[in-house]
Amino acid sequence: MIRDITIGQFFPGNSIIHKMDPRMKLVLTFLYIVVIFMCKNFWSLGLMVASLIITVALSKISVKTILKSIKPIVILTVFTAIINIFYVNTGEVLVKWAFIKITTGGIFTAIFMVIRIVALVIASSLLTYTTSPTLITDAIERLLSPLKFMSNSVHTIAMMMTIALRFIPILIDEFEKITNAQKARGADLETGTLIERAKALIPIFIPLFITSFRRAYELAFAMECRCYHGGEGRTRMKQMKLEIRDVFCGLFIMLTTVGVVLLNINFTAVI
Amino acid sequence: MSIIKTENLTHLYSQGTPFEVAAIRNVNLDIAEGELVAIIGHTGSGKSTLIQHFNGLLKPTEGKIFIDGKDIWQDKATLKETRFKVGLCFQYPEYQLFEETVYKDIAFGPKNMELSAEEIDKRVKKAAKFTGVTEEMLEKSPFDLSGGEKRRVAIAGVMAMEPKILVLDEPTSGLDPMGRDKILNLIKYYREQTGSTVIIVSHNMEDVASIATKILVMNEATFLSYGNVDDTYSAADELLSVGLDVPQMTKIFLELKKRGYPVRTNIYTVEQGVKEIQKLRASL
Repeated sequence: MIRDITIGQFFPGNSIIHKMDPRMKLVLTFLYIVVIFMCKNFWSLGLMVASLIITVALSKISVKTILKSIKPIVILTVFTAIINIFYVNTGEVLVKWAFIKITTGGIFTAIFMVIRIVALVIASSLLTYTTSPTLITDAIERLLSPLKFMSNSVHTIAMMMTIALRFIPILIDEFEKITNAQKARGADLETGTLIERAKALIPIFIPLFITSFRRAYELAFAMECRCYHGGEGRTRMKQMKLEIRDVFCGLFIMLTTVGVVLLNINFTAVI
Repeated sequence: MSIIKTENLTHLYSQGTPFEVAAIRNVNLDIAEGELVAIIGHTGSGKSTLIQHFNGLLKPTEGKIFIDGKDIWQDKATLKETRFKVGLCFQYPEYQLFEETVYKDIAFGPKNMELSAEEIDKRVKKAAKFTGVTEEMLEKSPFDLSGGEKRRVAIAGVMAMEPKILVLDEPTSGLDPMGRDKILNLIKYYREQTGSTVIIVSHNMEDVASIATKILVMNEATFLSYGNVDDTYSAADELLSVGLDVPQMTKIFLELKKRGYPVRTNIYTVEQGVKEIQKLRASL
């Protein structure tokens, strides 16, 4: 159940997308998300989808995994589509019954929205699928490094993010273990009123918190034993360098952006 | 009479995905009442998956499991009853403690059974006595105890439900030799006093040899053998061939036999070893 969530998961690989500089990947993903909101008609949206398909193909992540990333947002997407169908009243009227009015405009907007949300989620999951959490936080730290003159906590924040991400799977595991242990002692988590169910979580959350604190202490000791003293003067084992492929990928998204702007001007807006 | 019986018990993890893997496959078991069964096997051989089927925490993908002659998945409403009948104590149980006092924590199980206040009190005191938890400790916070004490409190929490079958997953892991002996003795004592069936999962062959009446050897998702301690260890070669260890005593006698001394090899405790050596010396 809780393990089936693939958002934020990392699938190691050797593709060009995996090898890309994480900073570039992060920036381009953000750019992609911004541009997808600039799309005004199906032509420009189509171009965005096409470039996404190319990227997915390059990443060699299986289509099945990609589809899995959409699973958690199916309800949201369907809901958005339905709302749009009923509330947008432009264009030709297709169905009119009592207070319900479905128009071509409504249907177009609904389809547009669905494609937009799905593309958005796929693009951002592609980032986490192909980049390890450590690389992502590293990239964030470096992208934020110009802010260092304001405060020296950029490194601290990045380190905190790395640790937090690292501990998510461990805590999920711990949660399941403790739940099973309490179930074995007859704890009832599935039935009862809302308040009863909330109360039933106490035997799970107290041990979970205590374990987390214990782990935090242990980690802090381990870090100190290895002479960790914050970001000052710290050098890196892996240097990030922009390479030709990063420039190409950057150009690719830039061209797509230009294409979107041109298509937006040349064709009438749907939305 | 058999208390635990499984029929073609199979459990697949991540069924229907490319990651599908069988944790246990076609297990047919028959454990008689009152036994002290030790389950041994590698990590990933399916031991933990198997014991989580005994109290219905995991649902078999295929096959059936009977506790006390009743199919536990026939009626889902009786599942909670099964959990009280089969007390399961996980590995490192000390991390499940949560109450303000040791007393309250031990009472958590009996309370879930909806027993009367006196009955709960009686059971908590009894379980505390079994596990050597003192009156004074009962009023303490479980977080102020030492590791070994916490472990005993957690085991008391399961014992207080007075299950017909007590299942313990690696009850001695991470303890020093003294703590280990204490836990093993209390398990033995508990079984002698209550007559319940006890199942322990262990990595430690010495532990197993000293207290078990039967040994279940698991290997690669299915069971390799189920029999009494003598038989299991006399087939030491078989155990070694699947990469499992045998008690150090057995190893010594296997080696002696290899060097041509007329000794038995189904020896697994120091006492037996001493006797056999004396016999050997007399005969030489």
